[in-house]
Amino acid sequence: MTYALDVLQLLLLLAAAPLVRGVVSCLKARLQNRHGASVWRPYSELRKLFSKEDLVPPTASPVFRLAPVVLFAATVAAAAFVPALHGSALLGATGDFILLAYLLALGRFFLILGATDGGSPFGGMGASREALVSTLAEAPLLLGLTAVAIAAHTATIAGMVRWTLAQQFFHLSAVHALAFAALALVAIAETGRVPVDNPATHLELTMIHEAMVLEYSGPSLAWIEWAGAIKLSAMMALLIALFMPWGMPVSFSVAGLVVAPVVFALKMAAVAAGLALLESGMAKLRMYLVPDFLGMACALSILAVVFTAMMR
Amino acid sequence: MAHILFNSLLVILLALPAVTLLASPFKALRHLSPALLMIGLVAGAVAAARSLCHPCLIASDLSSITPLPFALALDRLSAYFLLLICVVGAPVALFSFSYVERHYTGRRRDWLWALLPLFLLSMVVVVTASTAFAFLFGWELMTLFSAGLILIDGDDSQRRQKLFTYLLMMHAGAAAVVGAFFMFAPHAAGLDFASIRVAAGLMPAGVRTAVFLLAFIGFGTKAGIVPLHVWLPKAHPIAPSPVSALMSGVMLKTAIYGFVRFGFDFLGTGPAWWGYLVLAAGALSGVLGVLYALAEHDIKRLLAYSSVENIGVIYLGLGAALVFTANHAPGWAALALMGALLHSLNHALFKSLLFLGAGALADATHTLDIEELGGLFNRMRTTGTLLLIACCSIAGLPLFNGFVGEWLTFQSFLGGATLAASAPAIVLPLMAGVLALIGGLAAACFVNLYGVAFLGRPRSVEAGDAVEVPLAMRAGMALLAAACVVIGIAPAIILRPLSAIVQDLIPGASLPEGALSIARFVPWLAAMVIAIMLGVALVRRVTRLTATWACGSPALNSRMQYTSTAFTSPIRKVFAQAYRPDRTLSVEPAEQPYFPASISYHSIRTVHFEQALYRPAVNTIVAAANRLRKLQTGNIQVYLLYMFLALVLLLLFMRLA
Repeated sequence: MTYALDVLQLLLLLAAAPLVRGVVSCLKARLQNRHGASVWRPYSELRKLFSKEDLVPPTASPVFRLAPVVLFAATVAAAAFVPALHGSALLGATGDFILLAYLLALGRFFLILGATDGGSPFGGMGASREALVSTLAEAPLLLGLTAVAIAAHTATIAGMVRWTLAQQFFHLSAVHALAFAALALVAIAETGRVPVDNPATHLELTMIHEAMVLEYSGPSLAWIEWAGAIKLSAMMALLIALFMPWGMPVSFSVAGLVVAPVVFALKMAAVAAGLALLESGMAKLRMYLVPDFLGMACALSILAVVFTAMMR
Repeated sequence: MAHILFNSLLVILLALPAVTLLASPFKALRHLSPALLMIGLVAGAVAAARSLCHPCLIASDLSSITPLPFALALDRLSAYFLLLICVVGAPVALFSFSYVERHYTGRRRDWLWALLPLFLLSMVVVVTASTAFAFLFGWELMTLFSAGLILIDGDDSQRRQKLFTYLLMMHAGAAAVVGAFFMFAPHAAGLDFASIRVAAGLMPAGVRTAVFLLAFIGFGTKAGIVPLHVWLPKAHPIAPSPVSALMSGVMLKTAIYGFVRFGFDFLGTGPAWWGYLVLAAGALSGVLGVLYALAEHDIKRLLAYSSVENIGVIYLGLGAALVFTANHAPGWAALALMGALLHSLNHALFKSLLFLGAGALADATHTLDIEELGGLFNRMRTTGTLLLIACCSIAGLPLFNGFVGEWLTFQSFLGGATLAASAPAIVLPLMAGVLALIGGLAAACFVNLYGVAFLGRPRSVEAGDAVEVPLAMRAGMALLAAACVVIGIAPAIILRPLSAIVQDLIPGASLPEGALSIARFVPWLAAMVIAIMLGVALVRRVTRLTATWACGSPALNSRMQYTSTAFTSPIRKVFAQAYRPDRTLSVEPAEQPYFPASISYHSIRTVHFEQALYRPAVNTIVAAANRLRKLQTGNIQVYLLYMFLALVLLLLFMRLA
């Protein structure tokens, strides 16, 4: 039965991912006093892209077409590690958070290759910038997760969620605040949101992710966009599961089955609102200030690890 | 059975130079040496695999027939490294089959086929030696044969200078290794490994530390840890590609073998600072190695620096294992040591694949500068696919072998938090961050290498006209790539023998619960990822080839693409402290900076280890030598006086002592 629930929560993450994006951009529009597009627009965009033809540069190699496929598969596999509706996920084993981080890296590796394969200057530009951001984001991501793992005395995501569930909210230490701050900064960088990257820009000076996918079109672009949406939702769900899991059913019950999706949706909406607020209130950082931003995440995560190790 | 196979490996390797020289005049027999070499290596691999699974002590003691204590034995650790040599050696031999035919003729070809088996034999002797004499014999020959192989490509003054650096550093390292063995002499019944093992437990702590430090420096020089790495980027690029593959993939691992033999088999538990020293060396080598690799655009130099990085990753695992043994956590130590040993094998596989790939690229395009390449995937499909696997493996991506070793090391760093002492509980988890940083930089480095060399548009005529390399070369690379994928997807096949090895080395080690869960888990994950990929591939899509929009200009050309230098520029800017580049920009004419007739830009990375560390050392030695030269007057009476004085001093010394 829990197995069915695991599959269900993965499918929910995949299916609702474009909606989360739509909600964030709708909230952003409202905050900026615009009417904004419907929250369902990402779905119609995906449908439109799937019905179009795939334009491939004649100089491109098969890697160009392989990249979106690998990106999507790796992102879905990473999302399968994230608990959303209850305390565990479809996939999980000792040290699974390392695997999650590296599956995201696998997808990104191929997307960067695809970007350089287009043979245009934009692809290379985006690829080079993405390589910088992702390189610097790797260490704080793993250190932040390590801090939580040490505090929870377990190396599985499900174990960490269960441990946090067993704590009182006000009994959580400063370590949690540090690790949360570090992981939130990393999540912003990983998913390419303001202030690291602007998902709504096509200006050469600033774009990172958009420059990488500039040569993609049709279904290939649809897979990339969908994978990006899944990554955003999975990161949000991971932060929720690790730092505010209260409301997740500990054991299986019918009431829990009804309540859990509602609670999860509310929490996702709250995080989305926070993201929209942040994106409206901040300007995008200059390219060479991004290392400072991630350096801050790194410092926070190092402190988190040191304090957890000292306070065991 | 294994005994016969192992001996046939030794005999074949020993006999091959003679076979090559005898067969050389006959055109029909020119495939004899490569074929024999491959047969020997396959026999060796089978022997190693058998004695890894069913430990039966194979020993060949030649001390009865020679006056020297020369003996070989195959315990689990030796068998593992013998397996590594043979598993990498056989595909390299297959690759060389065509490569040597295409690039060398006459004497140089014969020399190559004569020295290659001897080089392999010396490495086999090193990892299977059971006496100090046999070990040092192999160790010295390994250096000399590899130097001989480097000289096959020519011996102009620049190459000689690089080779001199290589030989000098190898001999300095060998001196330390000799010293480490001789420290045992007063305490051990003999210098065979069994007596050394007994003596090591009885020696005073100070002597044990001296042995450890000598082994650390001696093997560290061979392995190429920072700052003892300076020979690596000099020696590897000038060797023929199959030889570079063996030097980087296999020869560096003999140093890891030696260090594991000393650190874990002989010395066993030591103070925790040994471990911290090794961790620090690993972290420094890992980060600086990969940063230097990122800045290179000569493939072989890039790969050489990346070897420094991977040795750093291995040393991180070894250091963690030493810290754990010092803190009485044998289970976690075993896990960390497994990570280090597995990464040794993985690095041997993908690094030799990459060096062979560099050979294939040089064969097809006559250049090793990636700025001159581009768009090769469409011209060399098989090589391109195989090198994509290598790049994914070395970047530590899941479903490829590089990830499995790094994952074990990560796991053991997390285990540091379970220790009672607070110093390792803080340091080891932080090392997970260092490993993540190294992994991220390595991914950037190899995405750059692959993207610039194989994807996009060709940047030169040679790259545009490249044709696929012959079948034997592709087959050699394919074998290595297959090994990378198999270990990546089904790590259980190697993890089980590895856990037996570490339990031999670390007494009382039972692996932490769930530590090897990856072995059960990864095949399913692979199946899931492949299933999703197939599902995605089945979705209907209509593809149309059309030129990339060029923002209104007539067409894009290859000059508009990002180069390797441009790609890595942001990372180099962020880590500028590690590079300290010397840039010179000259604009002609100087009074019109905005309308120049010509601009020349030159940037070299200051090799500050050479300037800050080696330059003063070399200056001191030269100054001392100059001063000593005054003794050498050329007058025979003075020399007689020296001899007389030496004799008197010696007699006095004997009398007083």
